[in-house]
Amino acid sequence: MQASRARLFKEYKEVQREKTADPDIQLACDDSNIFKWTALIKGPSETPYEGGVFQLAFAVPEQYPLQPPQVRFLTKIFHPNVHFKTGEICLDILKNAWSPAWTLQSVCRAIIALMAHPEPDSPLNCDSGNLLRSGDIRGFQSMAKMYTRLAAMPKKG
Amino acid sequence: MDSEDYVYDSDADDYYDYSSDKDYNNEDDKVEEEEEEKKMDNIAIGDYDGETRSNKKAKQSYIVLKESDIQQRQENEITEVSNVLSISKAAATALLLQYKWSVCDVQDEWFADEERVRKKVGLFEKPVFLLPKKLRKVELTCSICYENVRISMMGWVSCGHPFCRECWEKYVSVAIEDGVGCLKLRCPEPHCNAMVDRDSIDLFAKEEDKERYSQYLLRSYIESNKKYKWCPGADCEYVVEFCEGGEKEYYDVCCHCSNSFCWNCMDDAHRPVDCETVAKWQLKNSSEAENTAWMLVNTKPCPKCGKPIEKNQGCMHMTCREPCGHEFCWMCLGTWKEHGEMTGGFYACNTFQKNKVEEKYNEAEDIRKRAEKHLEKYTHYYERWAGNESSRKQAVKDLKHMQKYYMGRLSDLRGATEAELKFITEAWLQIIECRRVLKWTYAYGYYLPEDGDKKAKSKRGFFEYLQGEAESNLERLHHCTEKDIHDYLDKKCPDKEFNNFRAKLSGLTTVTRNYFENLVRALENGLEDASSQEACSSQEACSSQEASSKIKSRTPIKRERTKGKRRH
Ligand SMILES: [Zn+2]
Ligand SMILES: [Zn+2]
Ligand SMILES: [Zn+2]
Ligand SMILES: [Zn+2]
Ligand SMILES: [Zn+2]
Ligand SMILES: [Zn+2]
Ligand SMILES: [Zn+2]
Repeated sequence: MQASRARLFKEYKEVQREKTADPDIQLACDDSNIFKWTALIKGPSETPYEGGVFQLAFAVPEQYPLQPPQVRFLTKIFHPNVHFKTGEICLDILKNAWSPAWTLQSVCRAIIALMAHPEPDSPLNCDSGNLLRSGDIRGFQSMAKMYTRLAAMPKKG
Repeated sequence: MDSEDYVYDSDADDYYDYSSDKDYNNEDDKVEEEEEEKKMDNIAIGDYDGETRSNKKAKQSYIVLKESDIQQRQENEITEVSNVLSISKAAATALLLQYKWSVCDVQDEWFADEERVRKKVGLFEKPVFLLPKKLRKVELTCSICYENVRISMMGWVSCGHPFCRECWEKYVSVAIEDGVGCLKLRCPEPHCNAMVDRDSIDLFAKEEDKERYSQYLLRSYIESNKKYKWCPGADCEYVVEFCEGGEKEYYDVCCHCSNSFCWNCMDDAHRPVDCETVAKWQLKNSSEAENTAWMLVNTKPCPKCGKPIEKNQGCMHMTCREPCGHEFCWMCLGTWKEHGEMTGGFYACNTFQKNKVEEKYNEAEDIRKRAEKHLEKYTHYYERWAGNESSRKQAVKDLKHMQKYYMGRLSDLRGATEAELKFITEAWLQIIECRRVLKWTYAYGYYLPEDGDKKAKSKRGFFEYLQGEAESNLERLHHCTEKDIHDYLDKKCPDKEFNNFRAKLSGLTTVTRNYFENLVRALENGLEDASSQEACSSQEACSSQEASSKIKSRTPIKRERTKGKRRH
């Protein structure tokens, strides 16, 4: 068996077994392709993302886990390190700081941490980066909150 | 050798006194002439060592190194650090990599704060991950493949984080595939910065990956050392080390692959002009090249019958196809017969005839004409620059051709050993080198002030004189090497004549070499001698370069014999 498939299969089984282990993360493998995953993550509390549920899409390369998966937000999010249109994420562990000992689960955890602690110095979303860098925390938070309500919360019937 | 053929003018003053009527046919020094000939023979036979001539006499300021030489030096430095710091060679390598291969920096930093350096580089004294006590039997989960693996099948670096050997091999392989970054590879464990050093690579990597890793290691060593540069020659693997601190810095180097280049700007070798002039000239060429200049290089109409003649031989003397048979000069399209006193030497054609141009445009003095004149001047220099370059390239080809097809035949025919025929190869190599120098003298000439004070004028005159002499020296050598050789492939030609040929060609080679060395020096000195012609024997010109006075006395002057034989 392909090493990447074997490893993904193990992750898959782990996810099945500990479905409730991390209540903030819900990982699921695509029905027909083990190299495609999606995740639902809860916006961390005491952040403008609190109360929102964000969907991530994973594309896993053949060389996984020696090479990192590609991850992006499917849910719109206003965050300095996430591209507002494409959902691309700027996170060092998804690039040069990747370790093959990371899992999809731990990537989700790292992304949640990034939501709580943005890095305004490497912005993919300039508007939000600029708000933060200019010290307009309230401006940033209200924008982020608005998009969380618009995109990441179930519509009230 | 016919003693009438060449007379060496020993009067040094005469050489510089270009403005007065020269009497070169000064046959007063036969004894010295013969002595000189003997010397030349000695030099010509068995003295060839494959190095550029212009660098031969001057203290050579560079060394050509094989990869293995450099590997040895690298290994020595690693060993030194390893001994002084009492650490493994692999750890020493990691340290040197961190500090750009500076042995001093490594030692200074290490003894100042070993702990900090260890942390920075990722060399752990004790593992941070402790393996279970009962080794061997125990299985651990490899956190890359998630398989349970026996500890005996796992590996780790100084931090102790265990991964299975299979995963290590792949991890290392992917990093090496990725490039030179593999030299600073860290432990796969998240946030662990333990260095994956050379020993670990040796332990974990596949054979071919190990090889690539040591290539990267060597490259890093060479590239972080300012003394070393790769030869830019195609497929060449030599490295040239430049040792600064000669009397004056000249950067022309000649690699063992026979490629010569400027160590400073990495362009082709370009003495006697400096890097700045080369850059300026190349820029000018690229902007003007689109118009006329390039077209002028390879084909010209015969001035008599108008048929296009392609230049396919090295020398400037052209003969049109039959029935025309017109002989003309490639450079100026003038009749070959008229090349002589008029153009600064029989074979020479260097004097840009400003007068002609001025006459032509005397009536219309508008700016457009002046621009045309400027272009004409540029074209003059460019054509000669490019002409010499293509002659040089042709000479390289001719040399190869000759070595491939004629040398063996000649050797059999004359019963001469390879070493005895070396003088022919030497002559060709000299031609190649001279064409290169001559080429650059045209860039030099282009930037030499045209008008101005008396000093500028006398410099220009001096320059054109030197260049003309150089050209005629070289044409004579080129002609003799290119044409006369065929006579000796003929069985009928007696051996005695072949011996004469050897003496003649060796002599010409030496004379030309010396002349060009002198020319390069004169130009590099900014033609300082021009302003004080009477002081040609001044300390600078003569005492510093003992050789230069010799060359002056060796300039061959009689042109009678060659005149008769020059038929293509
Ligand atoms: Zn493994
Ligand atoms: Zn480690
Ligand atoms: Zn080379
Ligand atoms: Zn240069
Ligand atoms: Zn013709
Ligand atoms: Zn000729
Ligand atoms: Zn001419």
